[in-house]
This record gives sequence, C-alpha cells and structure tokens, in this order.
Amino acid sequence: MKFRSQRVSYLFFATALVLLVLQICFGFIMGFAHMGFDVLHDVITFNVARSSHVNLLVFWLLSGFMGAAYYIVPEEADRELVSERLAVVQWAGLVVVGVAAIIGFQFGWWEGRKFLEIPRPLDYLVVVDILLFIYVVGRTALSAERFTTTGIVLLLGLTSAALLYLPGMITFDSQVIDSYFRWWVVHLWVEGVWELIMGGMLSFLLIKLTGVDREVIEKWLYVIVGFTFLSGILGTGHHYYYIGAPEYWLLVGGLFGALEPLAFLGMAMYAVSMVRRGGMDHPNKIALFWTVGCSVMAFVGAGFLGFSHTLPQVNIWTHGTIITAMHGHMAFWGAYAMIVLAMISYAMPNLTGRKRYLGPLPEWAFWTSNVGMIGMTGAFAVAGIAQVYMERRIGMDFLAVQEAVEVHFTGVVLAAMLLSFGIGLFIWNFVQYGLPSDEALERR
Amino acid sequence: MLTKGQARTFFVGGTLFFSAIFLALTVDTLRQMPERQNSELMTASVVRGKMIWENENCMGCHTILGEGAYYAPELTRAVDRRGEEWIRIFLRDPQAMYPGRRKMVQYDFSEEQITDVIAFLGWIGQIDTNGFPPEPDMAPAVVVASVPAASTGPRPAYFDTICVACHSVGGKGGLVGPALDGVASRIDAEYLDRWLANPQAVKPGTAMPNLGLTDDQRAELVAWLVTLQ
Ligand code: HEC
Ligand code: HEC
Ligand code: HEM
Ligand code: HEM
Ligand SMILES: [Fe+2]
Repeated sequence: MKFRSQRVSYLFFATALVLLVLQICFGFIMGFAHMGFDVLHDVITFNVARSSHVNLLVFWLLSGFMGAAYYIVPEEADRELVSERLAVVQWAGLVVVGVAAIIGFQFGWWEGRKFLEIPRPLDYLVVVDILLFIYVVGRTALSAERFTTTGIVLLLGLTSAALLYLPGMITFDSQVIDSYFRWWVVHLWVEGVWELIMGGMLSFLLIKLTGVDREVIEKWLYVIVGFTFLSGILGTGHHYYYIGAPEYWLLVGGLFGALEPLAFLGMAMYAVSMVRRGGMDHPNKIALFWTVGCSVMAFVGAGFLGFSHTLPQVNIWTHGTIITAMHGHMAFWGAYAMIVLAMISYAMPNLTGRKRYLGPLPEWAFWTSNVGMIGMTGAFAVAGIAQVYMERRIGMDFLAVQEAVEVHFTGVVLAAMLLSFGIGLFIWNFVQYGLPSDEALERR
Repeated sequence: MLTKGQARTFFVGGTLFFSAIFLALTVDTLRQMPERQNSELMTASVVRGKMIWENENCMGCHTILGEGAYYAPELTRAVDRRGEEWIRIFLRDPQAMYPGRRKMVQYDFSEEQITDVIAFLGWIGQIDTNGFPPEPDMAPAVVVASVPAASTGPRPAYFDTICVACHSVGGKGGLVGPALDGVASRIDAEYLDRWLANPQAVKPGTAMPNLGLTDDQRAELVAWLVTLQ
C-alpha cells in the first residue's frame, strides 16, 4: 500500500466475509425449507431467514464497497485519509447497526418491506453512519490536489446510493405507492448507482492490473455509466408493470429495461478488451480472474438473465416466481459479490505484504464458488420454469407445484454446498494473509 | 474519436435528461393512482390490515402484487380465489387447513385483526394491475375429461367456498381430505351431521378441522351430501 490509512479497509473486508458466511447459513435454512424440511420453522421462520439473508447480503456488500473506497480514495487522491480514527468509528457504527438489525429480525423487529426490512430507528443510524463515511472519503478527495475520474465515479455512486436510501424511509398507506418508492431504492441501487460503484472499482482494478493508459480506461468508464443511467432510470418501469401503476409503464419499462443489458455488455467488453490491450504482466493473476470474471458473470446474471424476464409479455407470467430468485442470485453474485472479492484479492497482498495469491488455493476458491453459483442458478431456473408453467399457465394449486419442484431445490442446495466450499477456501486464504503491516508500505 | 470530455457530457446530460422524464412520469403516476387503486375504498380497516401485513412481514413468505418471497401463495387475488369466509377460518388456525403441509406461522389474531387483514387483501384484489395475475392460458389444453358430479340437488354455496379447498367432487377441488364422490354410500346422514358438528369428537386426532358451522349450514350440507351416491 502507498498510504498507511489504507489499512482500515482490512476491517471492512473482514467484516464483509463474516457477514457473507452468516448470509449463506440463512440461505441454507431456506433451501432446506423449500426442499420440504422446514424443521427450523418454530425457531427461525422462513420470513426471518429471508430478511436476514438479503439484509446480510446488502450489509456485506456495503461493507465491501466502503472498504474498497477506503483503499481506493487515498490512492486516487494521492494522500492519506483525513482521519483514520473516524473511519474506524464509522466501521464500528456499521457493525453495530448490522448486528442490531439481524438480531432484531429474529424477534420480529422489522418492517415487512422486501429488502428494506431494517426498522426505522436503525434506518436513522444507517444514515448517520453513511454520512460519516461520505465525510471521511469526501473530505479526503476534496483536500487532494487532484482527484481522478475513477475516484469521482466511485464517490458519486456511493453518495447517490446514500441519497436514494431516503425514499425507502417514507411509508404510505397504499401498498402500491409504498412499492413504487421501494423500487427507487432497490432498482435504482442495483441497476443505477451501484453500477457506478462497480464501474469505479472495475476501472481502478483494470488500471492497476493491466497497465492500460488511465485516460483510455476512464473515457470508456463515462460511456458505460452513461448507458447505465440512460437505460436504468426509466428501466425502473420494468417493476411498475403489474403493481397497479399506469399502463404506459409497460411501454417505458419494456423499452428501457430491454436496453439495460447494454451497460453490462459494455462492462464485460471493456474489461476483456483492456486486459487484451494491456501488456503488463501483473503477478496477482487471481485478482485479474475475479475482475474479469465479475464483468462476465454480471453480464450473464444481470444482463442476460435480466433480459429473459424484463419484457412485459414475459414478465406477466414470471413476475414474483422463482425465476426472479434465479436472476437475483446470479446478478448479485456477478456484479457485486465478485467485484468485492476482486478488490479483496487485489488489496490483501498490498496491505499485508504477503504474496498469498500464488498456488492452487485461491484458484480453487475462484472456480468452485463460480461453478457452484452457476449450478444454483441452473437449479433455480428449472424450478422457476416448472413453476411458471404449472402454476401460472396451467393453473395448478400453489402447494402442489411447490411439492413438484422440491427436487430442484435439492439441486440448489447441492450446488450451494460447492459455492460454500469455494467461499470457505477464499476465507482461509484471507486468514492466511494475516493482518495489514507497516512493512507493506511502499517506500517513496 | 470520442474524447473524455464528450464522454462526460454524454453521461451528465443523459442522466439529467432521463431523470427529468422519470420525475415527470412519477408525478403523473401519483396523479392517476387514486382512481387505479380505488382510494375511496381504502377504509381505516384496510390501512390497519396493511399495518398487520407489514408488522408480521407476511411478504417474507408470500408475494403480493407479485412482490415478496416465493415460499407461499401469491395473495393478490386471494379473496376472489378463496372467499372471505374461508380466509377467516384459515387465519384462525392456518395449519389445521393444510395438515402436514408447508407451514404458515400460527398467529393469534383477534377477530378484528382478521377482519382488517381480509379488508386489506380485498382492497388489493380490486387494484387495476394491468391484468396480473393472468388467467392460466394453457389450462384448456390439459384439462382432463372430468367426471360430472353424480348429484341431484344444487350445491350449497358454503361447500364451494370452504370444503372444496380440501375435498374434491367430480375431480375438482383440494386433495387434503378424501374425494367426496359417493360419500353417501359410505356414511349416513346422522354420522355426517355429527362429523360436521365436530370432527375431533367423532375421530380424535383427525386432520379435518372444526369449521364452526351453524345448524342451518350443517343441515344444508348434509342434505346435499346424502345425494352423492
Ligand atoms: C382443512 C381441510 C378440510 C376442510 C376445509 C374440510 N375437510 Fe372434510 N375432511 C378433511 C380430512 C383430512 C378428512 C379425512 C379425516 C380422517 O379420515 O381422519 C375429511 C373427511 C371428511 C368426511 C368424511 C369422508 C369419508 O369418506 O370418510 C366428510 C363427509 C367431510 N370431510 C366433509 C366435509 C365438508 C362438508 C366440509 C366443508 C364444510 C369439509 N369436509 C371441509 C379435511 C377437510
Ligand atoms: C412462514 C411463512 C409464512 C408467513 C410469515 C405467512 N404465511 Fe400465509 N401462508 C404460508 C404458507 C406456506 C401457506 C400455504 C398454506 C399452508 O400451508 O398453510 C400460506 C397461506 C396463506 C393464505 C391462504 C392462501 C390460499 O390461497 O390458500 C393466506 C390468506 C395467508 N397465508 C395470509 C397470510 C398473512 C395475512 C400473513 C401475515 C400476517 C401470512 N400469511 C404470513 C406461509 C406464510
Ligand atoms: C447487477 C444488477 C442486478 C441485480 C443485482 C438485480 C437483482 C434483482 C433482484 C434481487 C430482483 C428481485 C427484486 C424484488 O423483487 O424485490 C430483481 C428483479 C428484476 N430484475 Fe434485476 N437485477 C439486476 C439487473 C437487472 C437487469 C439489467 C435487468 C433487465 C434487463 C433486470 C430485470 C429484472 C426484472 C424484470 C425484475 C422483476 C422480476 C419480477 O417481476 O418478479 N435486472 N433483480
Ligand atoms: C449458498 C447458499 C445460498 C442458498 C442455499 C440460497 C438460497 C436462497 C433462497 C431459498 C432464497 C429465497 C427464495 C424465496 O423467496 O423463496 C434466496 C433469496 C435470495 N438470495 Fe440466496 N442463497 C444462497 C446464497 C446467496 C448468495 C451468495 C447471494 C448473493 C450473491 C444470494 C442472494 C439472494 C437474493 C438477492 C435473494 C432474494 C431473491 C429475490 O427476492 O428474488 N444468495 N436465497
Ligand atoms: Fe430492475
């Protein structure tokens, strides 16, 4: 590392991995429940497991993004963080809110709104914590002599993500209007501002790993995030087809939703072509695996599988079925889980000074977790297609269909075991790196 | 070739332009909502029902308007599909209605709370959702030639709202309890009457719940059931 304060990112990365493990535990509870073994029903009901699963996901990704920002911003601003201590306080705040939320869920302290289950008092703490985060990285960027496009895009993404959290805190008496603004958070996050965060991280990693000229990389970054907003803002309409909103959303959402994969296609082409163009032979191959893998899996999960159900004439049948879960898993994995894991893989040797990226372990972690996720997605897809035909098109009873697809959830759980094995290896590798060390500071 | 400055202009300009359109469409959507969601039908009971829906996180198992979890039935048209009375009996004791199946949480709702939940679900069912959930379009192609029910009298309405959830007649209905075709050849009227009054008393431990039928309802059902020879 170049700057001593970059080491705070370690705290965030370690937290992210712990939360990922917990997320997976809750995933298994649901996987087994779908297989017909809801043995934990009296202890952890399905809705408890589900809100824990998805909120842990959001928390660990945010923790990963913040860790990445604390690593990237000093380099892009070419100075230390304005305050390392505030960053640690901010980390502690994040952990406290996250732990309180997950414990609260177990006792039914929540708001029953998918993805935004965190209860109101904790929402305020989240906001305060994020403001603190933005203050630390923002001040660092502003007091720098120069700040790069990569840094700007990253911070723009993080700041707008914080702003977009606010519409999710307004409640309405009407389920429809509630849901309308819930999408301002959920959709405009994952198909909008989070893509900026992903783009910023991707561009940072490509600059470091391929050695291609920064000007070229950053120019294309603008084009890609330009496409994100061009399609993604009005693309929100693909969630407004059938919730009670006006009919014109079928046209608007259908058209712009269908354009959304372009940004992800752009991302994949961008990463692959920069790697080809770059002559540099960076020794940390595994970070490059995760970086390029991220852009490709994001295209498959978000772009391709998103497209498969975004048109209104398809979505009317698939809306709210296991098809959505299929897409949700691969999209979150490809775009956001993998970019965080890429960042960790890149940053750890620099933070600790150990070259643990060599050898078979990290490669196994990469391949088994990805093959596991592809397997899960495939099993969800089969269950989802069966559900759409049997329940929606033929009109069979819900529970009868669920019993018919139980067997595919055996597939989900088996593939999930492979994924968990890969994550286990990744974490083992992370532990082997040890703690950040001052000896890793680059001499300047 | 495209310069970085042009690329930035494309990004900033596009974002501002499409955000403006999005905000305009949002204003229009909010303007149209009172009519599409029948705001005049949103009684205090409906709003209380929504509070229960949120506090209990029903969306963590069910979908409503196609949003939520994929573990339990889609409830947008639940009231149409099952009827208010069935849902009331169901919510008093969900597991009794689906013995041995996937479990719903056993809530101890008061009758007023159940009324509120039903009011909420009923209001949801009337929202103009552009046709969601769609009617099954492939059903006619796979309908098996169904056996006409061998009954003479008209079917009591109560049978169609409550009993069909668990029993089938003529190949249509639920599979939780036995098919009732020809039930009269197995059981006589007196037994049927005792059975419907309180299944547990006749056969302790049976999975058929006590549905709390009134005397009139029971008499009507028995009169019809005995025709199922
Ligand atoms: C929650 C599901 C459920 C509902 C609702 C239900 N039943 Fe049943 N019923 C059962 C089950 C299960 C049995 C088998 C009981 C046993 O043998 O232990 C049964 C048995 C019966 C039997 C005896 C059948 C035989 O062949 O032995 C009759 C008659 C009957 N039900 C009538 C009705 C009527 C009429 C209604 C509507 C008022 C009704 N049931 C509603 C579940 C249900
Ligand atoms: C733990 C998951 C879970 C939660 C939480 C849950 N349900 Fe259910 N619900 C189910 C399952 C599973 C079924 C299917 C029938 C069964 O097995 O009991 C069901 C069935 C229903 C039905 C009948 C639907 C039909 O067409 O047969 C209604 C109505 C219903 N639930 C309402 C609610 C309401 C209202 C809440 C919140 C207060 C709620 N549920 C919370 C799991 C859940
Ligand atoms: C990385 C980016 C993406 C992520 C993480 C993601 C994730 C998700 C998740 C979690 C849901 C379920 C949301 C809910 O019901 O609350 C969802 C729904 C949906 N996504 Fe994506 N998505 C991404 C990109 C895309 C893209 C690019 C498209 C279109 C091409 C798309 C199309 C859809 C559609 C149509 C739905 C609604 C499904 C339904 O009706 O049930 N998504 N997505
Ligand atoms: C490895 C073990 C995992 C298992 C067994 C698992 C299983 C499940 C199950 C059963 C559901 C609920 C579907 C329903 O509502 O019925 C779910 C939801 C979800 N999971 Fe996982 N999961 C796992 C890991 C992951 C990972 C690693 C991610 C992200 C990268 C993830 C992201 C999600 C998302 C976004 C949802 C919500 C989907 C939606 O609402 O459409 N899961 N998961
Ligand atoms: Fe979306």
